[in-house]
Amino acid sequence: MKSRRFTPYALMGPGLFWLLVFFAVPMAFMAIVALEEGSIDTGFSLTWQWANFSDSVGSFDTQFLRSFRFSIIATLLCLLIAYPLAYAIAFKAGRWKNLMLFAVVAPFFTTYLIRTLAWQTILTDQGQIADFFRTIGIISEDGRLLETDSSVIMGITYNFLPFMILPIYASLEQLDERFIEAAKDLYSSSRQAFLRVTLPLSAPGIVAGTLLTFIPAFGDYVNATFLGGPNQAMIGNVIQDQYLRTQNYPTAAALSFVVMAVILVMVLIYIRFAGSESLMGEETNP
Amino acid sequence: MSPLSRVWRWIREHAVMGVGILAVAYMLIPILVIAVFSFNDPKGKFNFTWEGFTLSHWENAFGIPELTEALVLSLQLAALSTVVATALGTLLAMGLVRYQFAGRRLANLLIVIPMATPEVVLGASLLSMFVFIGVDRGFSTLWIAHIMFSISFVVVVVRSRLIGFDRSLEEAARDLGATPLTTFRTITLPLLAPGLVAAALLAFALSLDDFVISNFNSGTTVTFPLFIFGASQRGIPVEVNVLATLLFVLTAIAMGFTVWQQHRAEKLAAIRPDDDVDTGLAALASGQRPVAGEPDPRPGAAS
Amino acid sequence: MTRRSGTRRAKWLTALLALGAAMALAACGSDLGGGANEGEVTTAEATGTVGGELVISQWPFYIDRKTVPEFEDEAGVKVDYIEDVNDNNEIFAKLRPDLQNGESADRSIIVVTDWMAKKMYDLGYLQDLDKDAIGEVNDNLIESLKSPSIDPDRAYTVPWQSGLTGLVVNTKEAPDVTSINDIFDPQYKGKVTVLTELRDTVPMILQGNGIEPEDATTQDWLDAIDQLDEAVKSGQIRKLTGNDYTDDMARGDAVIAIGWSGDAVQLQADNPDLEFVKPEDGCLLWSDNMVIPVGAPNPDAAYAFMNYVYDPANQTQIAAYNSYITPVKGVQEIFKQEDPELATSQLIFPTDEYTGDCSTIDNPPADGVTEVEERWQQLISGG
Repeated sequence: MKSRRFTPYALMGPGLFWLLVFFAVPMAFMAIVALEEGSIDTGFSLTWQWANFSDSVGSFDTQFLRSFRFSIIATLLCLLIAYPLAYAIAFKAGRWKNLMLFAVVAPFFTTYLIRTLAWQTILTDQGQIADFFRTIGIISEDGRLLETDSSVIMGITYNFLPFMILPIYASLEQLDERFIEAAKDLYSSSRQAFLRVTLPLSAPGIVAGTLLTFIPAFGDYVNATFLGGPNQAMIGNVIQDQYLRTQNYPTAAALSFVVMAVILVMVLIYIRFAGSESLMGEETNP
Repeated sequence: MSPLSRVWRWIREHAVMGVGILAVAYMLIPILVIAVFSFNDPKGKFNFTWEGFTLSHWENAFGIPELTEALVLSLQLAALSTVVATALGTLLAMGLVRYQFAGRRLANLLIVIPMATPEVVLGASLLSMFVFIGVDRGFSTLWIAHIMFSISFVVVVVRSRLIGFDRSLEEAARDLGATPLTTFRTITLPLLAPGLVAAALLAFALSLDDFVISNFNSGTTVTFPLFIFGASQRGIPVEVNVLATLLFVLTAIAMGFTVWQQHRAEKLAAIRPDDDVDTGLAALASGQRPVAGEPDPRPGAAS
Repeated sequence: MTRRSGTRRAKWLTALLALGAAMALAACGSDLGGGANEGEVTTAEATGTVGGELVISQWPFYIDRKTVPEFEDEAGVKVDYIEDVNDNNEIFAKLRPDLQNGESADRSIIVVTDWMAKKMYDLGYLQDLDKDAIGEVNDNLIESLKSPSIDPDRAYTVPWQSGLTGLVVNTKEAPDVTSINDIFDPQYKGKVTVLTELRDTVPMILQGNGIEPEDATTQDWLDAIDQLDEAVKSGQIRKLTGNDYTDDMARGDAVIAIGWSGDAVQLQADNPDLEFVKPEDGCLLWSDNMVIPVGAPNPDAAYAFMNYVYDPANQTQIAAYNSYITPVKGVQEIFKQEDPELATSQLIFPTDEYTGDCSTIDNPPADGVTEVEERWQQLISGG
């Protein structure tokens, strides 16, 4: 298929324009702010304060590492839960396919906040779930489920599951089942067929899903706010506080750019490791 | 075969589906809790402990005008931003996957970075820009913002679908004399449909859910999440649970309706008597089901 | 080879130039110049004609359902009553870009707590009030609120409701709580919450240490924060909350919380064991205030609203709804006839004796603010 010279630009024009004007430009503003110093009372001035970046990372390294840990664990959990589910919907659901898809996405329509608050009700100290865990000894007698690392990770996993399921489903769904049948004929077990054929073919979906999950999870703050205590605060909470509570805009902006940079670096490493160039668009289907 | 190995076999065959169902159940637990508590009858403002069954909040579901207004507004906002974001995002994805051009790296960066940016910074910086330009904040600034943060997600989802796309169908159409536009309309788009639907659902949900960015850019407008957040600080009225459950139930009914339609379509359409063929619309969209009168798209089938 | 590297270099150069241009442009337009607005503080002059539209930004659930419609009828004003103030800092961040520009984001009245009102005033974001236009307010404001430290002449604030910061206690699970230091009692480990707002929590700890907030030094503040930090790290303190400590109390996840007097009354409806306890070491007395931002449209309607809610007859239903301290004289008398039990409530009509040992100062010393804030940020994010 011939690539016409202007078609790509025409296709991408409107979208890129939108992002340029309503994202890139405001971000340029923020970049300036990150290099300022001062306070809300005395005023901010542009002093090319590059130290803002290193200072802020130094002050909040604990929260950075914590965010890292939480979002990686949550992403892995999401993958483990989402893949079988996406597989089931794509291949095993038959007439229930749409219903299951709906069940996956429907929780989204009840607002992030209400869902997370519902978990508060479910995981409350006085509730059945907490009692059950105490009975089987996973938590101590005066232990609790809320305001722990686990509750925050669970919240993140729960809230970002659809982000993982949908791309994997979209990717699996278009596989011709006859490939899988052929693979089963070629290889001795269905496990081999899966590992050698299905899994690699669904790689773009997996890559998309893990990135769509990890990236927002890293900067998340809602789960830590409602399901966690101060010892679970993530870097997103710090940025939130620095901006709203302390009105320390340069630090907030600097931290944001560091978060963005960290995520980009991780994405690049991940892509190299995964051997898939799908997200960064190296892989094409011209 | 011994009974034990037969049981084992049954488990292995249904393991995946089993896990799938468990996962779905897990996803629905909070919804169940929300629904149950919509029937609660708390004496005061706080809806955390069960105090008694009542239908009064259901009868009075739309009794809090600010809440209903906020919900309607959020739905309108989500619908509008979904349509635009899906359109823009799909075009972007097509451009990225199917063409070689200068500036591809930069374009990729521009698309991925918004997902990586903390919401508070996205929202605040956009607000600063709007104020600087002198734009009044309200519904328009809201949907501008919503489209902005949704595009990236749409691109990522649609792209993963486009990459595995089987181009041979499009080539076949070309060979038969179809123009690029016709090919796009009759072949590409329907085959992309599941990916587009997935992306649109994501965009819709993101919009409906958004709090931080909306908070900064809403002016005096109140969206559903904004209302909820305010309420959550002082005790969420039971009507919120009612509306949330209602929303869920209505969407379920809409879904159930499409499933029922599928059943009827299957019964009415002429299908080849072949056990392996999935006869649903989904199968048609993915090219697995033959349509009467057209060449069998399944690979290896005689035309 | 040379051609390719040349093109690549050209690309980088262009990118850098573009970035530089963007940043230069942004630097020109960056409105985060910060600092106080230049110029004199304006007074929102009343012209005498009441009508048109009035936009109010207020905290949620701070008013009953009837007051606003009744006011609309009486005054002929269309009111847009928005409950978007969930947090002082949040509303500040949301409105700041406009206020910085001398605009009010359409709002004529905003309701914020004392210290935020002062902060906004010092930054030049608020207007002085036209005292002649708020006769009802002047006449009916209760004595104890006439001259607060943040605004001794009541030049720019009109109290909406007042309240106490103290302890909200589950008296069944935590009987005999009398002092702020009970939050450090190991028997309540993991069942205690405190407020994320520095100015609510730390002054109480200071009082618990026998230090009056008025006399506290920066070091006192830092020591108090260290004390709290230990409690956080050990798990004694479960969580730092905003208004939502009520959720934890309602669920029973917390048995002692630093909280506000009015909330306790509302919690009692679902659980009668929950009570407001004024600690013997002291408490904090604050007000949420109606203020008029710079560039506010229709100050006449704003003044009309203020006068309206300061009429004891109208204030009664507001006071009954939210169980905070009403700033209006004459309401107690009405309650004595209609609801005698509420009329004696110390939480709505406190005696001077009751509020006598409450502090109204809640800011750290000016020279230590930054250090205290940074230390606090580390505490609330577990650093």
